[in-house]
Amino acid sequence: MPKREDIKKILILGSGPIVIGQACEFDYSGTQAVKALKGEGYTVILVNPNPATVMTTPGIADKIYTEPLEVNYLEEIIRIEKPDAILPTMGGQTGLNLTMNLYDEGILQKHGVEIIGASIESISVAEDRGCFKEIVKQIGEHSPESKLVKTVSEAKGFIKKTGLPVIIRPSFTLGGKGGSIVQNPDEVETLVEKALFESPVNEVLIEESLIGWKEFEMEVMRDHADNAVVICSIENVDPMGVHTGDSITVAPIQTLSDREYQKMRNASLKVLRAVGIECGGSNIQFAVHPETGKMVIIEMNPRVSRSSALASKATGFPIALCSARLSVGYTLDEITNDITGKTVSSFEPALDYCAVKVPRFEVEKFPTGHTELNTQMKSVGESLAIGRTFNEALNKAIRSCEMGFEGLQELSVDNDQLDKILTTRHPLRIFAIYTILKKEGEKAIEKLYQKTRYDYWFLYNFLEQVKLEKELMGIQDENDAWNYLKGKELLLKAKRFGLSDIYLANISGTDAKTIEEIRLQNNIIPSYHFVDTCAGEFAAQTPYFYSTYGEIDEGGSTGENSIIIAASGPNRIGQGLEFDTCCTLASLSYRQEGVKTIMVNSNPETVSTDFNVSDRLYLEPLTVESLKEIMKKEETKNIVVQLGGQTSLNLAEELKKWGANIIGTSIENINKAEDRHEFSRMIKTLGLKQPLNRMAGSREEAIIKAGEVGFPVLLRPSFVLGGSNMFITYNEEELMKYLERGITLSKESPVLVDQFLEDAFEYDLDAVSDSENVYIAGIMQHIEAAGIHSGDSACVFPPFKSTPQILTKMKDAAVEIARELQIKGFLNIQFAVKDGILYVLEVNPRASRTVPFLSKATGINLVDAVIKVWLGENLEKQGLTKNGVGMGSCKTGWAIKEAVFPFDRFNNIDPVLGPEMKSTGEVIGIGDSFGEAFAKAQLSVGNGLPEKGRVFISVHKKDRETILPIARKLNNLDFSIAATRGTAQYLFDNGIFPEIILKTYEGNPNVIDHMRSGRIDLLINTPLGEFSQKGDHTIRVEAIKRNIPYTTTTTAAWAAVKGIEYLKKKKVTVRVLTENYVSPIT
Amino acid sequence: MITLSIFCITAFIDSTQIYNHSYENLIFEGDIDMNTTCFLILDNETIFKGRGFGAPAPTVDELLRDGGRASGEVVFNTGMSGYPEIVTDPSYLGQLVVMTYPHIGNYGVEKKWSESGVGNENSERVAGLEGLIVRSLYCGAVPKGRLSLDNFLNKNNIPGISEIDTRALTLKLRDEGSSNGVIIRSEKEEEGLSEDEKLKVVSFINNFPSMEGRNLVSKTGTMERQEINKTGSPHFTVLDCGIKTSIIRNLVSRGCRVTVVPSATTSEEILMMESDGVLISNGPGDPAALTDIISQIKNILGKIPLTGICLGHQLICLALGAETSKMKFGHHGINHPVYDEKTGRVFITSQNHGFTVKERSLSEGMEVWLKNSNDSSIEGIRHNNLPVLTTQFHPEAAPGPHDSLWIFDEFIKFSRAASHKEEI
Repeated sequence: MPKREDIKKILILGSGPIVIGQACEFDYSGTQAVKALKGEGYTVILVNPNPATVMTTPGIADKIYTEPLEVNYLEEIIRIEKPDAILPTMGGQTGLNLTMNLYDEGILQKHGVEIIGASIESISVAEDRGCFKEIVKQIGEHSPESKLVKTVSEAKGFIKKTGLPVIIRPSFTLGGKGGSIVQNPDEVETLVEKALFESPVNEVLIEESLIGWKEFEMEVMRDHADNAVVICSIENVDPMGVHTGDSITVAPIQTLSDREYQKMRNASLKVLRAVGIECGGSNIQFAVHPETGKMVIIEMNPRVSRSSALASKATGFPIALCSARLSVGYTLDEITNDITGKTVSSFEPALDYCAVKVPRFEVEKFPTGHTELNTQMKSVGESLAIGRTFNEALNKAIRSCEMGFEGLQELSVDNDQLDKILTTRHPLRIFAIYTILKKEGEKAIEKLYQKTRYDYWFLYNFLEQVKLEKELMGIQDENDAWNYLKGKELLLKAKRFGLSDIYLANISGTDAKTIEEIRLQNNIIPSYHFVDTCAGEFAAQTPYFYSTYGEIDEGGSTGENSIIIAASGPNRIGQGLEFDTCCTLASLSYRQEGVKTIMVNSNPETVSTDFNVSDRLYLEPLTVESLKEIMKKEETKNIVVQLGGQTSLNLAEELKKWGANIIGTSIENINKAEDRHEFSRMIKTLGLKQPLNRMAGSREEAIIKAGEVGFPVLLRPSFVLGGSNMFITYNEEELMKYLERGITLSKESPVLVDQFLEDAFEYDLDAVSDSENVYIAGIMQHIEAAGIHSGDSACVFPPFKSTPQILTKMKDAAVEIARELQIKGFLNIQFAVKDGILYVLEVNPRASRTVPFLSKATGINLVDAVIKVWLGENLEKQGLTKNGVGMGSCKTGWAIKEAVFPFDRFNNIDPVLGPEMKSTGEVIGIGDSFGEAFAKAQLSVGNGLPEKGRVFISVHKKDRETILPIARKLNNLDFSIAATRGTAQYLFDNGIFPEIILKTYEGNPNVIDHMRSGRIDLLINTPLGEFSQKGDHTIRVEAIKRNIPYTTTTTAAWAAVKGIEYLKKKKVTVRVLTENYVSPIT
Repeated sequence: MITLSIFCITAFIDSTQIYNHSYENLIFEGDIDMNTTCFLILDNETIFKGRGFGAPAPTVDELLRDGGRASGEVVFNTGMSGYPEIVTDPSYLGQLVVMTYPHIGNYGVEKKWSESGVGNENSERVAGLEGLIVRSLYCGAVPKGRLSLDNFLNKNNIPGISEIDTRALTLKLRDEGSSNGVIIRSEKEEEGLSEDEKLKVVSFINNFPSMEGRNLVSKTGTMERQEINKTGSPHFTVLDCGIKTSIIRNLVSRGCRVTVVPSATTSEEILMMESDGVLISNGPGDPAALTDIISQIKNILGKIPLTGICLGHQLICLALGAETSKMKFGHHGINHPVYDEKTGRVFITSQNHGFTVKERSLSEGMEVWLKNSNDSSIEGIRHNNLPVLTTQFHPEAAPGPHDSLWIFDEFIKFSRAASHKEEI
């Protein structure tokens, strides 16, 4: 059937900020949908407050709103735009829930907006666990034994019948939030209570435990003519008990016979039909008992998902793109398969390779939260690798994760720890299995199966690698290595296992350089295959590649004028979607200028790994080895490393040595910014200031240096990302504790000891430079206290409480630094201002996290400006600078960036903010007034400001004067004021009458008790010094648990007041982002 | 003629129950001697070195002496599951099958998954592919009650070769078309083949009969008439040209009485049975070479409802005066979209054919029922005034999606209606 002509304008919802369980896969699917629908001639309106996304880049959709994903804002947008239809299936659970709310409140009906892509009925059925089980029963399939409960005692009743363990899943939450496994009786009450709290409808499903069952996923599509296909089947290497987002998975399914597979396929299609998914993709999860073969259906997602993004990259089949086309009336057989250009989309992709996904955990950042994985997703990112065999793909995927593992390798821990890792579903479990297999060989397989329930097929594949490793370990020395590896064709075999040169060097006692030499002398170089959806049956039109060894090489090369873009790999805290957006926009800009681009990335969730973003795409680990080989294959040495965050920047030096042409700022100058000594020298030469700083190679030295700098000091290892392992200490005792936290100290890897500028104002500055001319895109002021990582701090653009003099100083400093470092491309500088003095904290010669945010706020596509610089068009010619300097301005009035945190995912984690970044994502709030922008930003992170109620104030002495007008204002806004004794006294003396509330250590009822009983709606707490770093812990935990807004500076308190003022006006204003934007993307 | 009524209905119901997977006792079947160097040779330039498994492939001398073993037309199959069904499917007679999915053997082989003929070991010649070509053979433990693929092939005298660049091979076949090839065992581990040996093998391949014109049906199928589910209805006479077991399973599970007859059965014998319909089965080789069968079919056209699957479809078309041609590399896989010309519905089918019916050659009255969505080739035929209904693909799947099992219901409905009409 042809596309629908009765609808013209379509509203698409994004998924908001990146959180665990909902990451950039929705930027990928949303961007695809927008492009598909625009391509069909529809007008597309997009709403997503996440500024880091590609989809919110002006030019992508016809109109973009970055307003909060809240019913009242959506209604206003609908009222203004009058869309004919809304596509809710691209914005994850957020998009789906919001659409349900809009429907429930009658807003869609009132404005005549049709839901396309899924019906309200099918969403309700799939999302409501009770209904879904009923459907499963009706079609003759099985669900796990379970019961929906609304109280703890109901839950206990069920458990009495089935016994423990049981699984708890709250209704209507994403990424399994609030879910858990109950193992022993005394956990029942707390865990059920928590789950009831998490569920927006206070309803929880208690389920028989399927721990240890084999777990599978099917990605399916159906059109309104009832044609249905399976796009991809996925098997979880980790059996049931670990959230599928936290499991290592492989596509296609490996261990099911055709009969078993077809049974699962039949069930998938039956479910799809029974639920009534008519035009789009869905994901269905299954569990199969490893011995009896009993198959149960666990759940379905009636929308595109993380798994569908993964399936798209694993098969080459663009699920979101097709779903969008199906939603406007096409059928599968009317959509051409873009990869072959010949065949139709109503087919099932055939793979001739394995695609393995490995999740990435922030083990160091949230250590205790990770001892055991369960049904609540905890990983923050993932990498995907393709190889001809499972082992090859697995080793590549592990390497791509950048967690310090070169592949499947041994752990060096003692037996007790090993056993603990094995039995607790620890993120490192697969490595523990490998360690034991290496120690004990084949006879350990049965034991390992019993402990982990990894299928024998996987265990035997690991064993193959153990055997290979044993052969490799026969090598004695370097000379021997030559003969050994060459003579036995062992090296080729090892490379076919997906092992890197470094891995082979590590186990064979040589170095990577030697391995590389032997490899090249024997002409053992990778060959590249197309990902073609059809196992070679038809010729691929879209050059999407993966590497393997010893096979046919396909696809030729693009030649010396093309440019490789090294992207940023798996999402992690501190390096996420923002960088992917920079890489994607760079590719689009280059292509606009007629330059061919080659994208290299390992993150399957991203837009950059969409096959039509670049001229060629490689799904490969971002390592020096793989990039060198890609350069050889493509016959180009041009590579962009500035846009993929620290991952790509870290590759620069070695690639340069090898002969790569690093585009933009030179390696020497990158090092000047990253090397402490050189950096200090430069700062001095330029007459600038930085906090006092020292380096210490031993504990003793650390204490001495800290004394020299003066407490408080900021401690961190050299070369950091997102502030890993950073710490502020206030005295010697704390310093010692930090050093004992497993920090290795030596001359080669010293710890940095910096003066900590307490109570300073901090700023971020982003600039673009062509080495002569410098365009300052913007200066953003942090709202949070100094010492909080810039990625975690809310910030405001333009700065709102800064003197013009200090801003000019920053601008001048940036220009000087840019010229001194001969920056060609991006420059990010972090400043602090204390007592009117400007300090330079950090200089990053690369794109920063805030580039997409600033691009949107200033209306200048900064990535495009940089690409033009690289292609020889200086900033003067681009019109961005005049007489060498230019300055961006905020086109949206005010723009606020606010961060979101994953603390609610981890039990017993101190949700303290500090120099180590902990947020997973961010939102933008824009408005004519500061208050409007701030209020929207808070709404968008799900931490809406109160409009009435009680505010708790507890401030340090020096803040009392500043807080007084704030308290008055709040009082005038009808808030009642509560304060701790000292603060209360001061306020009282100044004419405010606060209620006195006890501090936590002063007895009961104290502030915590008041929070628990719901008496506190806003917290202003600005303790200073040591106390702020470790005290008040319980208040913070409680605030996060109960979603009570919590401000730690008078600045933030002032911002909150402004926000409340805006909210109290009860006027919902929405603003289009697209106007006045300079963008090459059409 | 002896009629064997050996199966009760339950034996043929394709139970969807999943089989018991106990690994309690890890059994290591057979000795995989993965050190046997083997070669897959297509022509002078195309020689792949690999490791032998299954039954030993012939050495060059053995090949020249015995002729024919481990040699045939090389075709690729894109299915990601279902190797046990493929290695037992009689339609692969005369062919070496390349599996494009790299991991093969993952879940072993269970005897009851066999697709070879009626299913009675005493009454038929089991015949299938000449050799299996894979990228990576699984050698670990398989569930209890199953054989490893290596062991299974060994027992069934089928050679295999692994560690082959199946991607390169597939692309060659795709671009240049299917060609003949052989699997050779080398006794000299390191040196490989001598020039002389190579020449001999290539000349053997060059003289090997092309698939075009090859009659392979005479080498397979039942020798005797066999009757299954005697009390069932309607009654199908099935002409066994190398039938897959699941075709019979599907008829029986729908209550049909099935009489399987040898492919050499005459039209008179068929008509004498007075069944409600005839089904011409799938099978190997070039349909156009089966002139005897075609003329028998001509004799029954219009006299009894006629259905056909794969080779059977082609034979019926030939009998109706249409022509078949060799495809470049054919359709071998389980992901082929087929659409119904009238309803527009698309379903995913299991396919295995190297010949196709030429659309231009269709005679008057022949109507295209189903078509392939990818290349528009004919996937099903009906006739305006004769009781004929056929499919090119395999509605019984096995392996493959069950989307087209309804074809059997159509066959039954059609036969009932058509035979009823005739009586009136």
